[in-house]
Amino acid sequence: MKGLLTFITGFVILAFALFLAVITGDYGPWYFAWLVGTTMIVLISASGAAMFDRQDEELNQKGISSR
Amino acid sequence: MDMLINPTVVELSRLQFALTALYHFLFVPLTLGLTFILATMETVYVVTGKQIYKEMTQFWGKLFAINFALGVATGLTMEFEFGTNWSMYSHFVGDIFGTPLAIEGLMAFFMESTFVGVMFFGWDRMSPKAHLVVTYLVALGSNLSALWILIANGFMQDPRGGTFDPNTMRMQFTSFVGLIFNPDAQAKFVHTSIAGFVTGSMFVMAVSAYYLLTKKRRDIALRSFRLAAIFGVISTVGVITLGDALGYIDAHAQPTKLAAMEAIWETNPHTVSASWNLIAFPSRTEQKNVFEIGIPYVLTPLLTHSEDTVIPGIKNLEQDAKPHIENGIKAMIALKAYNADHNDTAALATFKQYEKDMGYGFLAKEFAPDQDLAKVNASNLPSVLDKTAKATIPNVWVEFWAFRLMVAAGFFMLVLFAFAAYYSLKNEIEKHPLFLKIALWSVPLPWIACEFGWITAENGRQPWTVYGWLPTFVSASSHSVSYMIFSLIGFVLLYSTFIAAELYLMFKYARLGPQESHHHGEEPAAGGGMAGKPAFAKSSMNRS
Repeated sequence: MKGLLTFITGFVILAFALFLAVITGDYGPWYFAWLVGTTMIVLISASGAAMFDRQDEELNQKGISSR
Repeated sequence: MDMLINPTVVELSRLQFALTALYHFLFVPLTLGLTFILATMETVYVVTGKQIYKEMTQFWGKLFAINFALGVATGLTMEFEFGTNWSMYSHFVGDIFGTPLAIEGLMAFFMESTFVGVMFFGWDRMSPKAHLVVTYLVALGSNLSALWILIANGFMQDPRGGTFDPNTMRMQFTSFVGLIFNPDAQAKFVHTSIAGFVTGSMFVMAVSAYYLLTKKRRDIALRSFRLAAIFGVISTVGVITLGDALGYIDAHAQPTKLAAMEAIWETNPHTVSASWNLIAFPSRTEQKNVFEIGIPYVLTPLLTHSEDTVIPGIKNLEQDAKPHIENGIKAMIALKAYNADHNDTAALATFKQYEKDMGYGFLAKEFAPDQDLAKVNASNLPSVLDKTAKATIPNVWVEFWAFRLMVAAGFFMLVLFAFAAYYSLKNEIEKHPLFLKIALWSVPLPWIACEFGWITAENGRQPWTVYGWLPTFVSASSHSVSYMIFSLIGFVLLYSTFIAAELYLMFKYARLGPQESHHHGEEPAAGGGMAGKPAFAKSSMNRS
């Protein structure tokens, strides 16, 4: 039951995202760019932070640095 | 409308609004950007379970809270100013302009304000995932707030979605879709929102640079620096791209703004080789640049994204305005006659014929004898046309330099963020103390760029409050000069107190920095180490 609810929730979010993409893509290309761009900025920055921890662990293993 | 308008009152109303808007925008961009940076930090915390990212979110959240509390107070007064100081404007476009403002208050601001409380006080009252959703809702709410304000501003820059009704003497809605999907509003929202991202990034990066220089909480400072540098470099590229888009849109919607922004006095038919003025000293009286350094072959492709589009110069635009002014005077005289007698179908027909130029008639009112367009006759018409045509051009010197200072700050920040991201990704940032000092001292740059950006946008729209429809001169309320001076002094004193409080608290808590914590490892349980206490209480609780 929980799996079905998760699936339905995901499907609703996906449908809404597609609806938003179609509307903003047709009428508001710059709004669409903001939605995609902001998501991209957040994800890349978060990846950069996660990458920092990975680099930090590698350096620690080599005994070069510890923070 | 027949009452004489005091130009001093109009200028004081402009000054008061400009000051309150510029004050307000000292707080706004940090809110727009820092909320998404907090959400990014918290995302890393929820995904990786590393406690340190929660600490980071809470520490930067504390600085965000100071800015948010003071920023809200300065924004509210501006909405009242539309009614108190700009009553003619509010009457004329209130039906359209008021709608996005109302939606902003009811939807975005309420959403942001409600969830900001949950964000600060809900760390131990909900799961990390639920708290993350709340943080994203705060970020989304603050940016939605900006969206509706900029939709309202977009209508002032390029009025779409409304039409003038001669029976009510007001502009009325014709298309809500036209209003919200106005190209100017779209580009301006993204430009402004991402300028906020740049501001938030610079703030986090500069304060982190200070901690690295003073060897304070390197664990938090290095991670914050990395995240802010990447956030900043992508955002700055976005701001510059959208700035170009906004310039392109304005080139079509507001040719006078574009000509003033680039100090172009003469129309150059040689589009390919036309020079772009890097530096110029424009003279309004001489109608030329007394000194200029231009770069050939850059102007046309930069501004029009083509090689053969002719960019009209200021002198041409003034001449082009004259037939519109003449038609506008006819429209206004006919409108007055129709208002006196709604059965006067001939007057209505004349008005309808010249309706699209009525704004220019309004504009000519300032230069008509006794501000009465009915007194414009064959002998004084050339003088009225000349003066009104010159008034259609904004202050060129202010426009040219405000734009250049904004652009210069933007490109400097792009280079700064690029180097910061590069050094951080190579884990070399601490080997460059000079660069860290430059990053620290660059902290005012995004605010300077934002303020000059708004000066470019709003000065460039002059002499209109609603471009082509309603001049600033007829938009103000009919207060006395003494009342305006009194309220202006009141605002300056009040807002200066806010700024002083903001700077004092920001410096105090930023210098204090995040306190040492003993739990930098994996997150042991939902909620985390400081769960149960709001961000404000954290610094004292964390002391080892």
